Amino acid sequence: MSRRPAAPSRRGVLQGLGAGALGLAALPLAGCSADGARADGGAPGTAGTADTADESELSFLISNLDGGWVPSQSSISSYEANVWQQLTDKLVHTSADGVVSPWIAADWEQDAEAREYVLHLREGVTFSDGTPLDAAAVVANLDSWAVGRPEEGIARVGLFPGSTYAGAEALDALTVRVSFTAPTLSFLPTLGYHGCQLMAPSSIALSLEEQSDLSAQIGSGPFVLESWSARERVRLVRREDYDWAPEVLGASGPARLAAITYTVLPDDTLRASAARAGQTDIAYNVNPQVLDSFTEAGFVIEVPRYLGFVHGYSLRTSAAPFDDVRVRQAVTRGIDRAEILRTVFTDAWEPATSWLQAGIPETTDLRDTFEYAPELAASLLDEAGWTGRTADGIRTRDGVELGFTIYPTPYLTGSVPEAELISQHLGRLGFRVGIQKVDIPTWAERVTNDPTQGVAEVTRSFVDVGTVAGVVTDEGEDWFQVGSTDAELVRLRDEVAGAASRQERAGLVEELSRHVLEQAYFVPLEQNVQRIYVQSPRLSGITFNAVAIPSYHAAVKEPS
Amino acid sequence: MTAPPLALPRPAAAARRGLAARRYGAFALRRSGQALLVIAGAYALVFLVLAAIPGDPISAQLDNPQNGYSEAEKAQIRAFHGLDRPVPVQLLVSVGAALQGDLGTSLSTSQPVTALLGAAIPSTLALAATALVLAILLAAVLGLLSRLLPEGPANSLVRALPAVFLSTPNFLIGLVLIQVLAVQLGLFSLVEPESPLSTLAAALTLAIPVSAQIAQVFITALDESAGQDFAEVALARGLPPARVVVRHLLRPSLLPTVTIVGLVLGEVLGGSLITETIFGRSGVGTVVQKAVTSQDVPVLLAAVVLSAAVFVVVNLVIDLLYPLLDPRLRAPEETR
Repeated sequence: MSRRPAAPSRRGVLQGLGAGALGLAALPLAGCSADGARADGGAPGTAGTADTADESELSFLISNLDGGWVPSQSSISSYEANVWQQLTDKLVHTSADGVVSPWIAADWEQDAEAREYVLHLREGVTFSDGTPLDAAAVVANLDSWAVGRPEEGIARVGLFPGSTYAGAEALDALTVRVSFTAPTLSFLPTLGYHGCQLMAPSSIALSLEEQSDLSAQIGSGPFVLESWSARERVRLVRREDYDWAPEVLGASGPARLAAITYTVLPDDTLRASAARAGQTDIAYNVNPQVLDSFTEAGFVIEVPRYLGFVHGYSLRTSAAPFDDVRVRQAVTRGIDRAEILRTVFTDAWEPATSWLQAGIPETTDLRDTFEYAPELAASLLDEAGWTGRTADGIRTRDGVELGFTIYPTPYLTGSVPEAELISQHLGRLGFRVGIQKVDIPTWAERVTNDPTQGVAEVTRSFVDVGTVAGVVTDEGEDWFQVGSTDAELVRLRDEVAGAASRQERAGLVEELSRHVLEQAYFVPLEQNVQRIYVQSPRLSGITFNAVAIPSYHAAVKEPS
Repeated sequence: MTAPPLALPRPAAAARRGLAARRYGAFALRRSGQALLVIAGAYALVFLVLAAIPGDPISAQLDNPQNGYSEAEKAQIRAFHGLDRPVPVQLLVSVGAALQGDLGTSLSTSQPVTALLGAAIPSTLALAATALVLAILLAAVLGLLSRLLPEGPANSLVRALPAVFLSTPNFLIGLVLIQVLAVQLGLFSLVEPESPLSTLAAALTLAIPVSAQIAQVFITALDESAGQDFAEVALARGLPPARVVVRHLLRPSLLPTVTIVGLVLGEVLGGSLITETIFGRSGVGTVVQKAVTSQDVPVLLAAVVLSAAVFVVVNLVIDLLYPLLDPRLRAPEETR
């Protein structure tokens, strides 16, 4: 554990005072305080009190590392994944725009049906304990992702296509054959997904309880663990013989930074204050509404968008009033998304163009199906028979009020103010929209696992667009509770799921998406940003992968 | 809190001491037995309450449709954690293991509960102990000043401070200390919440409201003692007030003060949760908070047992301290 005494220099104190004025003022009112920070003559982000330590060390503030270190459970978390990404490698790299390129797998072939893949591994790769990352190790990893050891409490990686996985075998020391029982186009891109990180076979073989010890988790990444204490701090140091970074990222050899320290600071305001006081290089996830004050003070804000679904509401057709397509269309047409972007978020957020994030290669612009059109929305409601009005202007039909409840997702900081705005927008049309804030377990119970709740908020990443086939009907997650009653949806689902080539599938995905949006099963809001990195301007060379997780292999920190 | 009944002194000192020790031992034993019962009761109660609430971290993960686990996989993993057994059986297994010192494994992190709490206890202990010392010091200063300062605005201020302290929310004190000491003056780094200076600031946050309660009781007790004949006599004899306070008022005022110190210990431990959160410390409070939000039963059980044990032990220690502070309580009960 590092102990760096914060010796306050005169300059540090001055900057602290300036930044402090900013910090105090920014608690309730963020905008007017940037001048205070500039008054001391230096950009507050460029120096500070604590990072007077080694210039090649990175300090990272994170809200929690509570998920533990069992890889199959925590590697997909938006918190622990930050650490895993520096400790481990993957078979392929999937970029922010969905392009798959070689990493530990230098090359691969697949058969015409996408049922069988042969991976050729890079030579000379070793785990940090010196054992080779060879075909046998890859087979052990594939088995753990696809099957796990449920009888010992170790679940498989939920995102890996385990249901069609037939098995893997080592053809020689550097060649692995992977077989599936049905076409599985998602296999390759999924290898770049954060759950599929390569661990040493000795780590995979550990019991559940032993796996919870991060120091027992051996990877082959550019950094290795130096020390950790539960919920408090994780410190990584550079691996000097690392030489197998993904070529596409343009940096080879060992990492440039000597060490990274992740410190847990659960309080939003505290992380923001620490960043403003120059006590950290990166603060992860602060409230979007205070970001402007950081930009004005010279910080770099990274809001990488991941591949997946946009942030939006899926409407369950089994719950009134969403059993009527006209009501669903009125909801999607009645939301002023431009106002949401202006009010709740900053310029870094992008409007939704479909129900899929724009970075996905198969995404097409389908905004015409959900553009803001309040008059159209009103006439749709009239048509649907919601023509009565209560004293306070709520539409009624046969004495029933038009309304529903939104449970904002506890996973996104902006989701409550956003729901409040939407409640106003739809209120103008005559909807009564209730809002109930709940915590994560309650949310799971009231929304995720309760199909009678009409609105389910969606924030969800994926790497392979084939995922869409798995959520739309009851042969899957049945997001809209349509079961198999929508014949068109069933046809498109089957064709997307059975496609053996990506080109063929792209056209089908567009058809499926248009159908979902025209039926207003899904109400897109804006492109999803689940991870917000407030960074010192001294940092460069940071790359983000398909799920918006940063890699610090090529990162550089300029001296102050 | 029951103190042994008052008794008259008896002449035979040695016999008296032997009898006293025996009675003292029986008393301590009875109190310890009660303590164990309290802990066991808390354990069972928490277990049953948590069993009645639907959901646990394992099921939350397994039932998440995003993971697409099959029913067979879910059943196997639930069985591994013993979640498929009837609740009474789970309780028995859990109690049996706990009696052997095995507090189980956290359902959300898979870490041994003992390791999880073991890592958190030193931090909370450092915070609570520092806070308690600070609170006692603060209260002692306020109490003594209230008697030593001549009547006037300064004395009134000292006497009003506890009420001010008590009505200032803990988190507000913390935020102000952070902004001033850490952000503006750079005296400690927010990135190192366990550093000595950061701990001191956190302890002060916690100590200020706690000291108020001690100070209030201490001031009242001093005032009461000052009104007693012996104090008035001492003053009439011309002893300087400071000497009267130290020699004559302090000791009789300590008994109620020690009692309140014992009672506020609960405040210190409870308040440490908020303070830990404000300062980003990872102590028992944050562990418990996480366990509550994720319904991590084994961690919660262990934490409840821990806090019940602390309370019981503190009360026991205070009961056992009484006879040492007040000679009137030291003598054995008249049996014949």
